Amino acid sequence: MGALLRSLQGKRIAIVVGSGGVGKTSVAAAIALSRAMAGGRALVCTIDPARRLATALGLGTLGNAEALVPPEAFTRAGLASTGQLFAMMLDVKRTWDDLVTRHAPDAATRDRILGNRIYQQVSGALAGSQEYMAMEKLYELSTERDYDLIVLDTPPTAHALDFLEAPDRILDFVGNETARKLFAPALDAGRFGARLLQVGTGFVAKTLSRFTGSDVLSDVGDFLGQFQGMYDGFKERATEVRSLLTRPEVGFVLVASPSPLSVDEALFFHDHLRTAGMPVAGSVANRVTPDLWPFPGPTPGASPLAEALAAGPGSGGADGGLDLAERLSLALSQHQSFAHSDAREVERLRRGASGPHVAVPRLEGDVHDLAGLAALAAHL
Amino acid sequence: MSASDLLDRRLVVVTGKGGVGKSTVSAALAVLAARRGKRVLVAEVDARERVAPMLGGRPSGPVIRPVLPGISTVNVDPRHALEEYALMVVRVRAIYQAVFENRVVRFFLRAVPSLAETLMLGKVLHEARSEAHGRPRWDLVVVDAPATGHAVQLLGTPRALLDTVPGGPLRRDAEWMQALLSAPDRTAVALVSLPEEMPVTETAELDAQLGQGLSLPRGPVFLNAMPGAMFTTSELDGLRGLSPSAPPLGPAARAALLQGAQRERAEAQAVRLRELLGRDVVPLPLLAADRWGRRAVERIADAMDGQV
Repeated sequence: MGALLRSLQGKRIAIVVGSGGVGKTSVAAAIALSRAMAGGRALVCTIDPARRLATALGLGTLGNAEALVPPEAFTRAGLASTGQLFAMMLDVKRTWDDLVTRHAPDAATRDRILGNRIYQQVSGALAGSQEYMAMEKLYELSTERDYDLIVLDTPPTAHALDFLEAPDRILDFVGNETARKLFAPALDAGRFGARLLQVGTGFVAKTLSRFTGSDVLSDVGDFLGQFQGMYDGFKERATEVRSLLTRPEVGFVLVASPSPLSVDEALFFHDHLRTAGMPVAGSVANRVTPDLWPFPGPTPGASPLAEALAAGPGSGGADGGLDLAERLSLALSQHQSFAHSDAREVERLRRGASGPHVAVPRLEGDVHDLAGLAALAAHL
Repeated sequence: MSASDLLDRRLVVVTGKGGVGKSTVSAALAVLAARRGKRVLVAEVDARERVAPMLGGRPSGPVIRPVLPGISTVNVDPRHALEEYALMVVRVRAIYQAVFENRVVRFFLRAVPSLAETLMLGKVLHEARSEAHGRPRWDLVVVDAPATGHAVQLLGTPRALLDTVPGGPLRRDAEWMQALLSAPDRTAVALVSLPEEMPVTETAELDAQLGQGLSLPRGPVFLNAMPGAMFTTSELDGLRGLSPSAPPLGPAARAALLQGAQRERAEAQAVRLRELLGRDVVPLPLLAADRWGRRAVERIADAMDGQV
């Protein structure tokens, strides 16, 4: 077992973070897979809209409910597993709806909120909504199910902090006292603009309605008014989610590819996690080019390679040999150029991030099935 | 649409999975268009600015700034886009400040359906249709759009607004934005992918989402980082036996075998992508570049020339 998996041994929750395209989903699935192979009940939850995890697990599709990866799939991949591997994909809209249903005082309020146009936008498309619901789902899974390990694959966040700040930002809006006072009168008055004029905020409202149209304003007022009774429940839960993230049973796993941009992003996230008191379980440099020329001096030119080729068994003859030697020389020097820039970035990640660090070499094939995930897990 | 008239569009939106090289492709498209005498704006959307630095300039931030002859860049962010837009609507800065700088209003604006995305997209699209001295201000606007999920969200905002906002200036703007985005003679969405399993799968899904889902005109799909064919199959067979040899031959043979295997996998994925898309793709070479600077971008532009 590698250093990262050892560091996760005592954890119940692993949260995999990093910039897009670094293989986060595969790493998350590999972590869950290795716990299952060690006899545990493990769940990997992705919120990626592009359904990458289903492809990797050979499940075809994933839904909002946990699905058991069938034991035959392990057998087919030549893997022995004594535990169970579950996978699911977060449905952001459904999770919002469940949350509203859970907190709504009665069916009428629930239906009114679910049908409100502003709510539909907030739950479907508002920036940060995905991140908020990922946290919410994680909390629900960790308190209401008995997995030995839940691995959360986080969304390809444009800004690393969205993930940590989104719940507060969204709740700040729905719970803002002043906003509620400003917009809620629309509820009682029926006509938003008229009522606002009475409370002396007409100037703001009139300018805004020129901007958005007044129907939007009354929708917002309605939304906030309906939300009023539920806000405390939401807020309390968000606070619990937040405190869950600082518990020692949680481990954040930073994943980066060996590129300057990706490592920057991982280190940026790392520092913020540390500041927020959230436990970092380790870092992964994924798809690293192996070093094939760990010798002093530059990679060989064509002539030493041509000589070696000519001396070797079954050499292709002198003519083909020189041409081949030139291409071999080029292949090695290009390979080493990738290897060196990768090594520099891996080193930067290793130095900058706390906790165990593992480097996963660029694997032979793409990771797109259980066997590939197991091979990836062996490096973690 | 054939790839060869891509740069005759007014607006090219570049998107794809994270880390596939969207910024590089955006920068290279701009370089190529500028070589053809076009005046180009490259717009990044609320990004860690990459295009200007890649072209050897300093980041533009929210203000359009020339970076090379014929090429300007900008990084559109929600705050400036809101300010610019709101000032266009209310016209008086004092009123803007009284209303829009108000904390409560800021909260409110966050809840208006996808407002931030709309304003950023609106700013970009506004540039694509703006005129100065009786001719278009830009011959081409290249949008270095966010990755997959966020791009679909961004490009879908005008339609989302049309569904939610019954009237007012925002709706009118959503209408012209949607019209511009879906006009095949003016706009194309170019996708960037990598010759690997999951990026290919995702590209095909994204292509369907943009085409059937959002009815956007689809441009070429760039298959980035395609390794070249350096060795024949029989050469690779011969090298297999040499890979355990002592240096220098062993390591060189191993590098060649890795290159050959990478090439073979990439080629298989290129075939798969063409099949999934039902149309051809534009391969771009894998460069052994230590740093992604202007030289690398120029080389990608060279490779694009004749294909777009």
